[in-house]
Amino acid sequence: MRSDTTSYLFGLIGVVIVAAITATWLPTLGIASSALLFLLPVLLVAARGGLGPALMTAAFGALAYNFFLLPPRFTFRIHGFDNLVSLFVLFAVALVTSRLATALKARESEASHRATANAEIAQFSALLARGEASDAVVAAMKWLADGYGEARFLSQGTLPEEGNGFSTLDLSAAAWAMHNGDITGHGSSVMPAADWTFVPLNPRRQSGTDLLAIARPVSGNTRDESGVLQLQGLARLLGQARDRIALDMERQARERLEDRDAFRRTLLASLAHDFRTPLTVVTGELAKLAHGDAGAANALAEAKRLDRMMNDLVGATRIESGALMPHIGAVDLVDVVSDAATSFDGQNPTLRLTQTVAADLPLVEADPVLLRHILTNLIDNATRHAISAVSIGAQDRDGSVILAVEDDGPGIPETDHGRIFERFSRIEGDDRSGGSGLGLAIAKGFADAMGMIISVEESGSGGARFCLVMPVRKIATP
Amino acid sequence: MTRILVVDDEPAIRRLLSGILERGGYQVELAENVREAISAVERSRIDAVLLDLGLPDRDGLEAISAIRTKHDVPIIVVTARDDTAEKIAALDLGADDYVTKPFDCDELLARLRSALRRSGKAGSADAVLTFGPVMLDTAHHRATCREEPVMLTPREFSVLATLMEAGGRILTHAAILERVWGKAHVGDIDYLRVVIRALRLKLEIDPSQPVLIRNEPGIGYRLMECPSSK
Repeated sequence: MRSDTTSYLFGLIGVVIVAAITATWLPTLGIASSALLFLLPVLLVAARGGLGPALMTAAFGALAYNFFLLPPRFTFRIHGFDNLVSLFVLFAVALVTSRLATALKARESEASHRATANAEIAQFSALLARGEASDAVVAAMKWLADGYGEARFLSQGTLPEEGNGFSTLDLSAAAWAMHNGDITGHGSSVMPAADWTFVPLNPRRQSGTDLLAIARPVSGNTRDESGVLQLQGLARLLGQARDRIALDMERQARERLEDRDAFRRTLLASLAHDFRTPLTVVTGELAKLAHGDAGAANALAEAKRLDRMMNDLVGATRIESGALMPHIGAVDLVDVVSDAATSFDGQNPTLRLTQTVAADLPLVEADPVLLRHILTNLIDNATRHAISAVSIGAQDRDGSVILAVEDDGPGIPETDHGRIFERFSRIEGDDRSGGSGLGLAIAKGFADAMGMIISVEESGSGGARFCLVMPVRKIATP
Repeated sequence: MTRILVVDDEPAIRRLLSGILERGGYQVELAENVREAISAVERSRIDAVLLDLGLPDRDGLEAISAIRTKHDVPIIVVTARDDTAEKIAALDLGADDYVTKPFDCDELLARLRSALRRSGKAGSADAVLTFGPVMLDTAHHRATCREEPVMLTPREFSVLATLMEAGGRILTHAAILERVWGKAHVGDIDYLRVVIRALRLKLEIDPSQPVLIRNEPGIGYRLMECPSSK
């Protein structure tokens, strides 16, 4: 406004000066040159921008020209057509020049605005990239508060309570912004009466977005469209920075977990290895004494069980780590059963261990090592619960072979049948078990890995019968 | 006197093995690592090596190939690792047999005897093989078990002859398959299972509880000594 007043003033003064000069030296200058001189103030004022002052200067100039120079001089009477032409030219120059100047000015100011905005964005990105990501976000928020007004994050799904600086209208605007990903509130086209501007951090996310809330500028001015657009750009940068932090934290957490897992696995593997050295010495020395000494024989049996428990621990970590890759091939159950049963030879002289595996049973599909471990655990479990007999049998039924290990012990209550394969589960009131609590869980884990079904039922004698169902191997004839 | 080299970095295991071996009538030499083991084999006459795979200076598998390239001494691997692939690798590199810690000392001595027997008659391909109750006349393709003649198919005969030549040492499935069926069939373990089953029906007293042909899960087959005692 003020610049316009100055322009009017400039115009008046310019015309007065030109009028004075031309009026004084008219005989020397001649009428044509004098007319041209009146263009000068119009051009100058028009070039400052603003159509009004330019037209006023043109009109005033035309009047002065008419009054001081055109004959009859010192009257406003117009003679002839040429006077009208000069008037028209003055107006045309005023119009065109001021238009051009205004457009140029507008473009200039737009460019300078854009430069400021870009500089701001660059500064903001630099701020976000500096140092620890979470510190950078805090610094960026402070920068926003300094430049734009109080800034806060609003997380999705956790809208703040009313009062906290937010009115009901603010909160509705925030909810809208979160849900739709639009800018809302002060300065925007949605609920502009709100006191805060809510800018989505991740506007393109389908599931809704976190928000940047910026308070109305302290100056009390209304935030204009370019300010809001700028905020949108800044919020997007902030959103990206926060996504990176979230991703980083997720990766770090995962790495920590993996490290711990790997550590546990190696620890256990080397523990198992180190454990076997003393165990070898113990079993070796006990074996020398065991001939004829019931105590030493008992200790030997227990030492062997310790080794089985260690194998179970290693097996459990293999199952848990998902590192179990069964090598399925043709397996003769006669091999597996006789091998597993042999390791229990003489371990408990009061128990009768019978094997009834027909020599013409079809071959099965299994991993022989895992299958032996399963069977060892089932036999171990049975010998710990049996009163006098454990029997291992296998039967061919409908394209499957069912391997069964049964004991004549107290059996397992039917309510526990589902639970028995869980880790560390032992039946309540059972004080004779003495197992690691892992044996059956490992049997189940290995069976699962080979795609076999393991189950428990009541045996004929009231004890427990564990059954493992495996597929028959279709043999290509040699 | 037969000299056995015990290679193990654990003093307690060395003591245990020395005790077992000396009571078995062997003379014992000790080594703590691969370097000492190789120099012991170079320096003096060693009849068999008991080799731990987890040695401090070099991988035990390397030790097998290092000894094997120069010496034909029987090697029995004594390992604490329950790793089937490692055992097979050891056997493929030329180890004669293995025992897993904690081992049974009777079993260890049996393996040692088998390994020593192999080296005793290396090179001499006998026409008549005997092992326990079984006798094979390879020249005339005749077999007897407990003095009774047994009819064997050519494959069965060939598998049994292969096992008997090993004389109680473990043979990997792949080794037997290659020997009997040829290189193209080293993975066809089904063939072997079927033939072993047939052999058991003809040779074992109770084929459902075999004591002569013993399977080591995932590794291979061996013949067991004095099955009558079981």
